Amino acid sequence: MTAPVSHLKLLEAESIHIFREAAAQFRAPVLLYSIGKDSTVLLHLARKAFWPAKPPFPLLHIDTTWKFRDMITFRDRTVREFGLDLIVHTNHDGLSRGINPFDHPPSVYTDIMKTQALRAALDAGGFDAAFGGARRDEEASRAKERVFSFRAAGHRWEPRRQRPEMWTLLNGRLGKGETVRVFPLSNWTEGDVWRYIALEKIDVVPLYFAAPRPVVTRDGQLIMVDDERIKLEPGEKPELRKIRFRTLGCWPLTAAVESDASEIDAVVEEVLRAKYSERAGRLIDHDQAGAMEMKKREGYF
Amino acid sequence: MHVAALREEVAVAPAPEASGMARLLTCGSVDDGKSTLIGRLLWDSAAVAEDQRAAVMHASQNRLLNGEKVDFSLLLDGLQAEREQGITIDIAWRYFETPRRRFVIIDAPGHEQYTRNMATGASHADVAILLVDARHGVKRQTRRHAAICDLVGIKRVVLAVNKMDLIDWSEATFRAIEAEFRALAQSFGFIEIVAIPVAALPGDNVVRRSAAMPWYGGPTLLDHLEALDVSTERRDAPFRMPVQLVLRHGDFRGYAGTVASGCIRPGDRLVDARSGLGASVRRITAMDGNLAVAAKGDAVAIELDTDLDISRGAVLSEVQRRPINADVLEARLVWLAETPFDPEAGYLLRTATDLTPVTSMSISALIDFETLASAPAHACAANDIADCRVLLGRPTSLDLFSHLPATGCFVLVSAVDGTTVAGGVITWAQAGASAVGDNVFVLDRELLARGLCSDLGDSPADLAEFHRRAQEAAILLRSVGIPVLIEI
Repeated sequence: MTAPVSHLKLLEAESIHIFREAAAQFRAPVLLYSIGKDSTVLLHLARKAFWPAKPPFPLLHIDTTWKFRDMITFRDRTVREFGLDLIVHTNHDGLSRGINPFDHPPSVYTDIMKTQALRAALDAGGFDAAFGGARRDEEASRAKERVFSFRAAGHRWEPRRQRPEMWTLLNGRLGKGETVRVFPLSNWTEGDVWRYIALEKIDVVPLYFAAPRPVVTRDGQLIMVDDERIKLEPGEKPELRKIRFRTLGCWPLTAAVESDASEIDAVVEEVLRAKYSERAGRLIDHDQAGAMEMKKREGYF
Repeated sequence: MHVAALREEVAVAPAPEASGMARLLTCGSVDDGKSTLIGRLLWDSAAVAEDQRAAVMHASQNRLLNGEKVDFSLLLDGLQAEREQGITIDIAWRYFETPRRRFVIIDAPGHEQYTRNMATGASHADVAILLVDARHGVKRQTRRHAAICDLVGIKRVVLAVNKMDLIDWSEATFRAIEAEFRALAQSFGFIEIVAIPVAALPGDNVVRRSAAMPWYGGPTLLDHLEALDVSTERRDAPFRMPVQLVLRHGDFRGYAGTVASGCIRPGDRLVDARSGLGASVRRITAMDGNLAVAAKGDAVAIELDTDLDISRGAVLSEVQRRPINADVLEARLVWLAETPFDPEAGYLLRTATDLTPVTSMSISALIDFETLASAPAHACAANDIADCRVLLGRPTSLDLFSHLPATGCFVLVSAVDGTTVAGGVITWAQAGASAVGDNVFVLDRELLARGLCSDLGDSPADLAEFHRRAQEAAILLRSVGIPVLIEI
């Protein structure tokens, strides 16, 4: 198997172009940093776009308090290393009401701890543009997403009201009450992201690499036991298996895959040969038909 | 394959150009079997993951199909509303790769009421796959699709003659369709047309070579797409880099942008066509280190030996062949907005990185893209293709689209709500023809702040209201025939 890589420079240039267009046109941008591989590539490209200056915007992390511990360690180290501004926002109201991924359906939990939290954080910061790492290859409703995705007041995404984008001209003139999500990785695939990480030697969260980790099997999915908050079913006992993650989110909602890919070359090879699409490991997307489209309409990413 | 080997591949690649990726536009209507063709391409080139395959197989069983086992179109229809209506109304982007090349499929709707979507999708494509039904041959719609591709600058076309299985794999019919298309395509600027007989449903000549058409010796669709040369730039294209923003860091001052055409090296002379100021390139910088050359498509920052005091909107160019510093232009555009063109509304011209106020604009003709005839007109609405004339409030650097596409295209922006109302290509432009003079009324900040907007402060809400009133005042003045320039 061979893997084309000569298109990565083209994708990189396109993403840098998008970052610069947004920074030039919007008053107060922010980068939605979710610590995963896409955010990591996004941040790397942002640093390239404005180098030698720092990216002219802060990072925003929506912390549900259920992220893998390794993710938080990685986040804090990254911010320190590159001297970036980080805003961490948690929906404390949801937290005090005891909203959690074990006792509430994924759709309820995600809406309160992620979507509502994100809206509140964007409003509180007065941000008119938010960079996100979404890719069009992730899911069907994202396949039609724009690079500048306009949101009406209340962060609502209305598919029929999106602006046409012609050539490389990105029109960032906002209407009344509008904000925008900017997706510099629109044309990247999961395979591109990993090949780029390898090519550019970018550091990522270690959970992407296979290692023996404690897991339980639920509904055929491998769930890693990241801390003591897990509620074990009667007879359920964590066992050590060699696993890694294709995507990272809240640990109770993110399934692992068994893998021997313990370093970057092996991960690249595994991803390019993958038989299952990436979001198959995300439990929140399987809740109902058109789940992602519904979440987007409500302002999720 | 190991990453070490991947890196080697990069190192020996001749140039960091677009050769590694091809962007395909697929045009044709639902009836021509477009979704089936794309689905077949993805399915047979192993670009569909197992869970997606299973989902499609499962969903296929829930639909009434004419004896078909797999509904490939299920791989493509994205939004819920569209799934319910069973049509494709927006542009969908798909990605797949083979060992030889990375592909982007831009799937745009074919119906006439979606001309704007097709034009939008086509503007991103390197090559168009024009699909025709072998039973019906070249239709008015085929001509319209070809014309839209030509309008937005596509230079390479694949004519996929589909459903060959339904005409008994007839070579004569295929050749006749090919000849008819080649004849009509002479009105356009395509540099390459390749016709391929296919049957998307059974998969003949899509990825797998057909055994049913031994008379066809050409490549399969995938073979052709893998080998396609997607570069369109002339070897000696003049240098252009529209400035996106100025990067400052300590003593560093770099003009950041993406090279739109040509190339540049340290020591080369550059000029800003708008101010006429020139300087030499000191360094071409990137996070990975300084570059010896920056070519079309590269996103770089250029440090100059003298400070030109220019900002976003300027186009850095070579000294000899400069862009036109134009304030009047003619263009062919596709109207994108639901709201029709209104000569009294305020518009802004968005070129590569500049946003220029339009003082007046008029439509001169509407083009019937199925007959290619033009008729004098003064109005245009959604999905119309029109010729227009635009007067700008100040000059901006631009090129003719036929000469340099990246600096010769634009979108028209509503000054009131910011929406993109049209996209166009510049066919003629001139400097100094309409310079702001006695006949243009300038609504400036001071004038407005003194009276109409005297109650407004500096808050974002007040500033938005300031702009709104300025636009409304301009609309009233234009409605009584006064050209207006807003300068706030």
